[in-house]
Amino acid sequence: MRDRSTGYRVFSAFNICLMLFVLFLCLYPFVYMLAISFSSAKAVINGWVSFYPKEFTLETYKLITSNAQFRIGYANTIFYTVGGTAIAMGLMCLMAYPLSKAFLRGRGILMKMVIFSMFFSGGMIPNLMLVIWLHLNNTVWAMLLPFAINQFNLIILINFFKSLPDSIEEAAVIDGMGYFGILWRIVLPLSTPALATIALYTAVFFWNDWFYSLIYMNSNERYSVMVYLRNIVSGQSMAGAAAGSGSSERMTVYATLRASSIILTSLPIIILYPFLQRFFVKGLTIGSVKG
Amino acid sequence: MLEGVEFLLHYNTTAPRPRSQPPLRKHVRKYWQLYVMAAIPFAAFLLFKYVPMFGNILAFRKFRAGASPFGVDWIGMKNFQRFLKDKSFWRAFTNTLITSSLNLLFNFPIPVIFALLLNELRSLKFKKLVQTVSYMPRFVSTIVMITMLNEILSPTSGSLNMILNSVFGIKPIYFVNVPAFFRPIYILTDMWQFTGWSAIIYLAAITGINSELYESAMIDGANRWQQTLYVTIPSILSTVMVMFILSVGRLLSVGFEKVLLLYSPENSIVSDVIDTFVYRYGITNNNYSYATAVGLFGGVIGVALVSSANFVSRRLTGDGLY
Repeated sequence: MRDRSTGYRVFSAFNICLMLFVLFLCLYPFVYMLAISFSSAKAVINGWVSFYPKEFTLETYKLITSNAQFRIGYANTIFYTVGGTAIAMGLMCLMAYPLSKAFLRGRGILMKMVIFSMFFSGGMIPNLMLVIWLHLNNTVWAMLLPFAINQFNLIILINFFKSLPDSIEEAAVIDGMGYFGILWRIVLPLSTPALATIALYTAVFFWNDWFYSLIYMNSNERYSVMVYLRNIVSGQSMAGAAAGSGSSERMTVYATLRASSIILTSLPIIILYPFLQRFFVKGLTIGSVKG
Repeated sequence: MLEGVEFLLHYNTTAPRPRSQPPLRKHVRKYWQLYVMAAIPFAAFLLFKYVPMFGNILAFRKFRAGASPFGVDWIGMKNFQRFLKDKSFWRAFTNTLITSSLNLLFNFPIPVIFALLLNELRSLKFKKLVQTVSYMPRFVSTIVMITMLNEILSPTSGSLNMILNSVFGIKPIYFVNVPAFFRPIYILTDMWQFTGWSAIIYLAAITGINSELYESAMIDGANRWQQTLYVTIPSILSTVMVMFILSVGRLLSVGFEKVLLLYSPENSIVSDVIDTFVYRYGITNNNYSYATAVGLFGGVIGVALVSSANFVSRRLTGDGLY
């Protein structure tokens, strides 16, 4: 497959440069945020900061982590992420396993319903109406229940279950084990890579969500930390925190506050990413093992 | 949203059930546990995916607070007549089409090209590094991404304006507020967030190509460029086609959260899209019935788009979603 012509060599060199540029583009925003968040307001306002912190300080981090609203939001986000992922995994496993059985009557129509709902959904207002109708709004259930079954993740799971060898299950059936037992003791332990991948997608969804938290909740006690971040961005919520500084300086204090909020809210993903990245991609290829 | 695409390609190919089936009673008695198992999640699925679908009848009914979410009295097509005459609706509609068509034009081919370029990297370690880093932005929250963008583009302290000012002497520009910059910003941020991620599926398709094809191409004297043109690209074409159908089907659903975060009264001429229109009327002004009608209109066109794209794809390549 090697091509040693001059043209190809020039292309290869160009290609490597391009990829280095891609690396830079993907990483720079995070580097810049880190640099701003650890810099003094003065350094930021004078435009000294572009790659690494100037006049190193932890001031904004102290300010944010002592903010009650931020703490509540962060705790809520952790709760929604853990609870939402647990419920979603439970429901999706219970739904995917029967649907992975080709012999099951009615499976075809259920699959069609799942696929149809990927292309046509209720829409923003009917979803909200449903949540209000069920009296779920402004309760944690509004976050934990409506998003539990994600069709794409469900399909990945169905496909993975389908790819497991039938022989083990047949042996278990002959031994008199019920299907709940088979799912719990045989199928799920064999499916850890798929489960890990889907749990990650689900957790990322819950962690990153701000819109549903914003429209389904209406009290500061329930909002996720991303709503808090949005409020800082629109300058609504830090007025108290940065009070006392001059107006232009206050704007820059905002900039450092925003930067450190971003770092703190993205922290789990930034920290876990190097370890979990292999799971992130798996979902894309898992589905193609067997048709 | 790419997960499971491979499945969509193949799910129809599962073996048909044998024609002579045992009677239903026997079947249920044997497998009742599986039906029980599916019952609870299926009820949740119906409740949260299908009830809102039928909740769309609110578009034809009057909403009264505290009463049923499906509305109280029939009002017929009144809502539809109203928004079809509304100039700001048509502005939102054309904005949606323009923004997402431009986005498709740029951000559909780029992941394919990116995958092809990645495939040419000889150092596997470097390839892995670029790949790993390039799909990280996909896992960043929209709100975090937009905040970072605001920081970088800030007219007072953002690094882009600093560079433009010191190198070219350009006065600071308030990028996120200027209507002319809205679409470029939308497209570039999408590129930043999704190029690496979308490329994965194409890379997987490239990896799956039989190496004998390349060997025989080389025997025929094909150079690397010709191999790409005559082996790689034709081999991944069906994957590309399916991805294209999915993208066309989503033409009317622009990245709503991002648009909402980028939206400002100053740039609303170009940034108001169907979803922000629905949001403004429905959530902000509590005009639920009207907003539902607009949302339903968008949803129905979306389904029509997906079906026609699927039809065209079946005709052209024999491959489709369903």
